[in-house]
This record gives sequence, structure tokens and C-alpha cells, in this order.
Amino acid sequence: MAALQHNGVAIVDTFAEAFPMKATRLLVTARDLAWARHAAVSATGLATSVIACGCEAGIERELAADETPDGRPGVAILLFAMSGKELAKQVERRVGQCVMTCPTTAVFAGLPPAAGEPVALGRNLRFFGDGWQIAKVLQGVRYWRIPVMDGEFVAQESTPVVKGVGGGNLLLLADDTDAALAGATAAVAAMRQVRGTILPFPGGVVRSGSKVGSKYAGLVASTNDAYCPSLAALAPRTELGEGVRCVLEIVIDGLDEAAVAGAMRAGIAAVVARGAQAGVRGLSAGNYGGKLGPFHFHLRALAPAEGVAP
Amino acid sequence: MSWRLVLRRAPALRVDARALSPARLRGLSADDVRRIALPSGRDRLELGQWFDVLQDDGDADVLDLEGDLARFDCIGAGLQDGTLRVRGDVGDSAGLGMAGGRLLVDGDARDLVGCAMRGGWLEVTGAIGDLAASALPGDMDGMVGGTLVVRGRAGDRLADRMRRGTVVIHGDVGDFAAARMVAGTLALGGACGAMPGWGMRRGSVVFAGAAPQATSTFVDVAAEAGVFWQLLARDLARFGPPFDDLPRRGMTRLAGDLAVQGKGELLVTT
Repeated sequence: MAALQHNGVAIVDTFAEAFPMKATRLLVTARDLAWARHAAVSATGLATSVIACGCEAGIERELAADETPDGRPGVAILLFAMSGKELAKQVERRVGQCVMTCPTTAVFAGLPPAAGEPVALGRNLRFFGDGWQIAKVLQGVRYWRIPVMDGEFVAQESTPVVKGVGGGNLLLLADDTDAALAGATAAVAAMRQVRGTILPFPGGVVRSGSKVGSKYAGLVASTNDAYCPSLAALAPRTELGEGVRCVLEIVIDGLDEAAVAGAMRAGIAAVVARGAQAGVRGLSAGNYGGKLGPFHFHLRALAPAEGVAP
Repeated sequence: MSWRLVLRRAPALRVDARALSPARLRGLSADDVRRIALPSGRDRLELGQWFDVLQDDGDADVLDLEGDLARFDCIGAGLQDGTLRVRGDVGDSAGLGMAGGRLLVDGDARDLVGCAMRGGWLEVTGAIGDLAASALPGDMDGMVGGTLVVRGRAGDRLADRMRRGTVVIHGDVGDFAAARMVAGTLALGGACGAMPGWGMRRGSVVFAGAAPQATSTFVDVAAEAGVFWQLLARDLARFGPPFDDLPRRGMTRLAGDLAVQGKGELLVTT
């Protein structure tokens, strides 16, 4: 496939194919940032891929005390699922088991009420209060106060669900594992600065990129053999050129198309800025020929201006 | 064009003024407005007998009333939208059952202000009488929505049976404030009379001024409630002094009334 050269890094003329998802943002606050982080990390655990986790979730950013409804530090998390019903289930389960259980926390909707259809946040969790729960409506927003052993857990009644974009991706084709990890780490650091996005995999990076389907009937996804260096000489089709011995992928979910594009642009710029001498020789992206997902992120359009090092 | 009605002389009997609203006057000619009849005793008397009817360059959704309207009851009753401004005192039941819009009274009001109110914004710069934000006779619930702000003092049985909404009183209040309260928020800036929260089931009463004499059916709650307090205090801060510094103040919480459900609370600022 044709490629552009930017600072020695070959950017394959292809596109990432992404899908519509249902998304919401939650604000988790606590007495201090450490406890808010504990809750947020726990609530977004086992949420790397909808293939088997039910949802994809991650920490969007940390919040200063003056950015939260209750004046305490917090963490914004994003959750994505393939349907509003599944997202509602995941929100309730994760907030109930990971946020309500964490000392001193509270949880609020992180999107404006008019942004989308509401799903339950504290509405059902309130029953944990066994009749001792109390509601308070402030300026049209209902909050639930559930008595717990450190005082009370405050949760907003509901959180709006919006149409998000899932499955934006970037493939780093590198000389070796060290170079791939260093390039991916730099890209992730840059991409995490983009609001409205998460990178749901461990450290933001996935090494087991998948293709749709499998030779085994029971599997909906299997290893992306075209990008496995160990199969370059064996598989019927490979996308890897000479010298590529490690490929890592960064998957991006965003609240809208612009956010995903922004994160991919930041990631590409970070890899290009390091140059080919850092070991990442090329950048590519995964797609299904444009037949499955309506969102196409062309690397050519997201790359820095040609011939100009960013 | 907005309407301005200036009272020439006070009527001899009480007048039911619930027909005066921006929506009712919208699109009418001055003669039509003068012919609007209001109940007064056993008669119906036309507006033109009492008011100079004037038109101003302004929002068509605004109606201004000027003069001593203390014998005019039910001003703004059932108001749903628009703004009704009164420069002068008003009678009983101002804002009775109002559902939306804004009723602004630059003066005093008598009893039953915001009674059975469902929504909107009702503000009185002066003092108000008894049973504000309470229930109509025979009704189970008092105020069920909206915001009532009083810059002066309020009488007895304020927010009796109140179920939802916000009532903010900058001055002192009489006895039995928030009695039989079902839910909602009452914030008091001044002193409070006897038996606050008597028989309250749920709801919050905030004391930004003097601490109340709570009855023995309210108990101290030592548990942390800082998150809720910040949400509530930040919401009340928009009403200005003495509520503006609530987020920086602490509070102690008394739960009650234990004689009934006991899920209400008196929040005494420190």
C-alpha cells in the first residue's frame, strides 16, 4: 500500500474504521485525588473491549476541585457500549460495585442533562439505602443520598447517554519491541491530552489486535494475522514490510468524531516528531474495507503537513 | 408592547385579580384591557374604573402594576409564563398555584404567598404574612415546585406541608416554619420562631442566621455529609447575603421529626 514519508516515518495511505457507540461521562469525586483515582481505576477495570467486557471505559482526565459539583478533586471517566441498554447496565454495575464502595466518593453526570437520553446513575442504586435514602432536587437535578458506613454516598439521579465513536485506531510498525513501546508510550501521552477521548487498553496500548471472525465457529474475533511479525512469512496475507518485528495498536473511543480525529492526529504527530531513527518505521490503521463502520479516519488527512517536521 | 397599569384609587372591597397576567393581556387593545372585569364583592368591576392603562415600549410578556394593591388578592395566581411586576403592596394569595413565569413584588404581601405553587419564580422585597408556600385547605401538599424568595420577614406556618421547590427567606420567620414538611428546601437568613420542622417527614431547613430552638424530636447526626452540604450551599449562594458564604461555612445536622418519618433535617450553620 502507498505510503507518505514524514520525518522518515512511513504513513500508510489507509484509514481507521470506527463505529457508532453509546457513551456517557461520569465525574467521580472524593476527599482527595488518590481516592477518586482508586474508584475511577476500579470502575473502568476490565473494560478494554466490547468483545468480552460489555463496555469500553477509561479515565478521560483528572479534575481540580473547582471543576467538580461538590468542590472536591475528581476524575472524569468515559464509558462506551454498543447499546444504550448495555451501557445502562454497565454504569449501574460499575458505579455500584466500584464507586459506591470506595471511601468518600460521590458520582455525578459529566454531560449536560439535555445532551441525551438519561440512564440511571443513582436512581436504582438508592435502594441500597434500604429505605433510609433521601433525595434532593437542586435546580431541577435530583441527587440521592445513600447512608453508608463513612457517612453518605451522593449520586446524581441519572446520566445522559450520547452517540459516541468507538474503534478509532493507530498501528505502530516498529523495528523491535523497545522501539514500539517507546513510540506507543509517547503517542499515548500526547493522545491523552485530547478531551473527550479514552484509550481503553492497558496503558492505552493493545498488542493483540484482532480481525473479525475466526476459523473456529464460536469466536467473533481472532488474532490479526496480517500484522503478526511471526506470521509474516507464513500467513497468506501480510501488511508488514521488511524489518518490522513488533506492531502495537492504540485504540481510541471518543464522544464525537472530532475528538477521535484529534487524538489520532496527536498520536501521529508524536510518533512523527520522534522520527524513524527512534525505531517506529511506519504508521497504519485497521479497517474492514469501509463496509462496516461509518466513520473513516484517513491517516493522510491527519498527518502533519508534508515535509514539515512537527 | 408591554402593559403598565397604574392604580388611581384603592377599591372599597377586596378584588380577585387572578385575571391579570401578561398572557391574558397579550394582543388586546387599551380599551379591551380597560373592559376586563375583576370580581369585587358580589360585583364584577372593570379595570378602567381603578387603573390608568398605559402601554410601554417593552417586552410583550411583561405586565407592570403600580400602586397600593393591598386589596387585590390572587395577583399572579396560576401564572404560567411571562413576568408580572408589582410596585407596591399586594393582598392575599399572591402567586397562588403559579406554574411558571416570574412574579416580582416590590412591597409587602399578605397571607398565602406562593400557596400551592408549582413552578416559576416568586420574589417579594418586603414582608409576607402567614402560610406562605403552604397547602390550600383540603390539599395534602403545599408548594410542589418553583422558587419563592422573600427579602423581608415571613409569618407563621411558612412552608406548611411543602413538598418540593425552594423557599428562601432573608429575614425572620414566625412559628411552625416547615411544619409537616414533606420535602423541598427552606433556607432562613434571620431568626426563627418556635417549633421549626414540627412534624416534618423529609426536606431540609437551612439556618444561615440564628440557630433555632429545636424540639426534642430532632437528634444530632454526627456523620459526614459534606458532599451534600456543598451541593446545597452552592445552590443557595446565588441568593446573596447571608447565603452567599454558605459553601465556606460548616454545618451541624439535626435529623427529625422523629415523631413522624424522621428523614427531615435542620442544617444549622456554624
